[in-house]
Amino acid sequence: MRVFITGVGVVSSIGLGKGDFFRSLAEGRSGISQVEAFDVRNLGREYAGEVKAFRPRDHLSAAELRRMGRCSQMALAAARMAVADAGLAPGALRGERTAIVLGTTMGEADVLEDLDGAWIKKGESAVRRAMIPKYGSTLLPIHVARALGAEGQVLTLPAACAAGNYAIGFAADLLRAGKADVVVTGAAEMLQELQYSGFVRLAAMAPSKCQPFDLNRQGLILGEGAGILVLESEAHAVRRNASLLAEIGGHGMTCDAYHITRPHPDAVGSLSAMRQAIERSGLTPGQIDFVNAHGTGTRHNDAAESKVMREVFGGRRVPISSMKSMLGHTMGAASALEAIGCVMTLETGIYPPTIGYETPDPECDVDVVANEARKGPHDIVLNNSLAFGGYNSVTCLAKPYKIPEPSPIGSARTKAA
Amino acid sequence: MKPRAVTGLGITCALGTGGESFLRAELAGKPPRLSERERGAITSFDASKVPNAPIVEVPGFDPAKYLGDKGLRVLDRLTKLLLVGARLALHDAGLKKDNQWAAGTAERVGVCVSNAYGSLEAITELDRVAKLEDARYINPSKFPNTVSNSASGYVSIWEELRALNVTVSDGNCGGLDAVACADIFLETGRADSILVGGGEAMSEALYLAFRKLGEGGALGDTRIGEGAVFLALETIETAAARSAKVLAHVTGYGTAFVAPPDETTLIYASRAAMERAAKLALVDAGVTAEDVDLVVSGVSGLPSFDDEELAAIAAVLPGKPVVAPKLVLGETLGAGGSMAMAVAVELLNGAPASPLVRGEAPAQVRTVLVTSVGYYGNASAVVLTT
Repeated sequence: MRVFITGVGVVSSIGLGKGDFFRSLAEGRSGISQVEAFDVRNLGREYAGEVKAFRPRDHLSAAELRRMGRCSQMALAAARMAVADAGLAPGALRGERTAIVLGTTMGEADVLEDLDGAWIKKGESAVRRAMIPKYGSTLLPIHVARALGAEGQVLTLPAACAAGNYAIGFAADLLRAGKADVVVTGAAEMLQELQYSGFVRLAAMAPSKCQPFDLNRQGLILGEGAGILVLESEAHAVRRNASLLAEIGGHGMTCDAYHITRPHPDAVGSLSAMRQAIERSGLTPGQIDFVNAHGTGTRHNDAAESKVMREVFGGRRVPISSMKSMLGHTMGAASALEAIGCVMTLETGIYPPTIGYETPDPECDVDVVANEARKGPHDIVLNNSLAFGGYNSVTCLAKPYKIPEPSPIGSARTKAA
Repeated sequence: MKPRAVTGLGITCALGTGGESFLRAELAGKPPRLSERERGAITSFDASKVPNAPIVEVPGFDPAKYLGDKGLRVLDRLTKLLLVGARLALHDAGLKKDNQWAAGTAERVGVCVSNAYGSLEAITELDRVAKLEDARYINPSKFPNTVSNSASGYVSIWEELRALNVTVSDGNCGGLDAVACADIFLETGRADSILVGGGEAMSEALYLAFRKLGEGGALGDTRIGEGAVFLALETIETAAARSAKVLAHVTGYGTAFVAPPDETTLIYASRAAMERAAKLALVDAGVTAEDVDLVVSGVSGLPSFDDEELAAIAAVLPGKPVVAPKLVLGETLGAGGSMAMAVAVELLNGAPASPLVRGEAPAQVRTVLVTSVGYYGNASAVVLTT
């Protein structure tokens, strides 16, 4: 059974909504700016891909706003855009045949910051009781389900910086296994002080620019945002005459079982995940037109990723680019926002550029789409991601009906319910 | 779902630490509820100012006994609990012997673990440094523990499990949802065997949060617990091919969400969601309510939630006996569903039906429904059979 993307929603530092997001990607606009969300004077770094244009009340009711932390607010705003983009009627998500599957790293980090801050600085009596149940990554799909009127499965996959791909891959599996007809999926992440400090302390953060694959790259720059997608089974999408933005192909998923933060130097797991994504799509590496890189701008990541590209594609130099040069590393949200960027590539043939690329690195001997967008073949692309925990996750996205039809998986017995 | 084989179990909980035969013996032997005095002193944090705190810890938790001394220092409590549970489950299932692969291979065994508040301990520890001293002084080696999936990542590292590693977060329904995820991963051929389970660790922050929520008696008799448990879940074919002992079969899953009736409510026990999840699980398993011998509930002593769950069970499975393992093991949140799964496996293998909160112990237990009501309007259920 085929699985299609029928709607997308974006909250990002380079645009709210897919129109602005796509234009910015094509123009190579940077969303990196000086942090305003918290005081960075002492932290040794001052830049991030902060979403400064997001005004929650434009998207949420006052009651919704009060219920949620910033992460859920961005997730819900993007989810509303995605459902509108998909043209789903109010009430379309009722019943048990829908699911909300979202990824994140830290979830409602601002809620915990407030709770911890009150407790640590002023003592237990200063902790606001009503605030406690608002903490937990569990809440993202709960808030979204509630606002959208969904009544089926709610699930968070906290898969760190691969969370978007995990959620999208699992959502596609749910649809193919016949467990659901429509899944609202994707991921969200907010910029927060402790997590920002942590990346500085790991010496992973660049001073002002994220320069993936560049010889002089100095690390990542954190970002935030939400990317939400509506996925539908072919039967459901065809029945309601939905417009098909893209098709989800195979999804590869492995674990390095090597180090909690660093990718394996031989990138065996990452290699295997990428091969899985291609094989599970019924394709060969020769059919892949473009790869959206994880491309964090750290020394280890970009070198390992380049090695994977060379091993998977042999002598063929497949164009590769990293949207993190513009968005920063939005952690859990990254591969969801980038999946939506891939939808743009499939629609328009535009490969978004890796901005700030200056000096080629012999260790990263890949065809980087440097500084300016490029046009090229655009039937089938891969979206690569890696994460803390040794996670590797790759999703294949394609123009509708350009990949072989996958065979159905599992029993569809729940359909009888 | 297709029936899946449970071939092993590893648990570290209020009753102690061990494999399948350990848990069965403990369930047969212990009184249903340990008093605060019998339980011993709290060790996970300095609880001297809160005598008789309603906490159920893993008694005398000693990870070095199972894991050795090396490499434990930077790990948080949740990670250590999960590592112990995983090692025991792999050995109980015969996938490993003396820490070497005996039947499985690293590339074909995966991990799927439920957790609700695992990063709380590490985030709070680092917040303490950041708020009281300076964010520049936070310990970078502790930073990875602030990420929710780090504990399960360590399980893969320590046990060399490369097929996949997935953390699931759905509060106290997550343990049951993880089983549904593992089923899909087996169906899509991503692994032959999956350690599926859950973990939650006691910490001062977790305890204080619940104490605060419980002001005015809102939490009733609920005691917050901790622990980790893994079941080895395999396709029938994999289990048969390696002649594994099969402890039970997982045959059905259902889940549902019902929004609270008004805009301001957040915490919400939904009877309707529980009823729908239970019915879907029965249909998924291809059984009727009459086939079910016993219900393993999430009843924990929290009055408003217990009432809704028991009412839903009574509506879907009228007259069926109900047990409540959380009265012994505590409310272990992200691990709760997995603990209930482990108890269900033991009930199918002759453990006594205790503590019963409804009905009489059945003469024979062949089909069990495990239920859990989430805190936000969600609910899940799983069916297990012999």
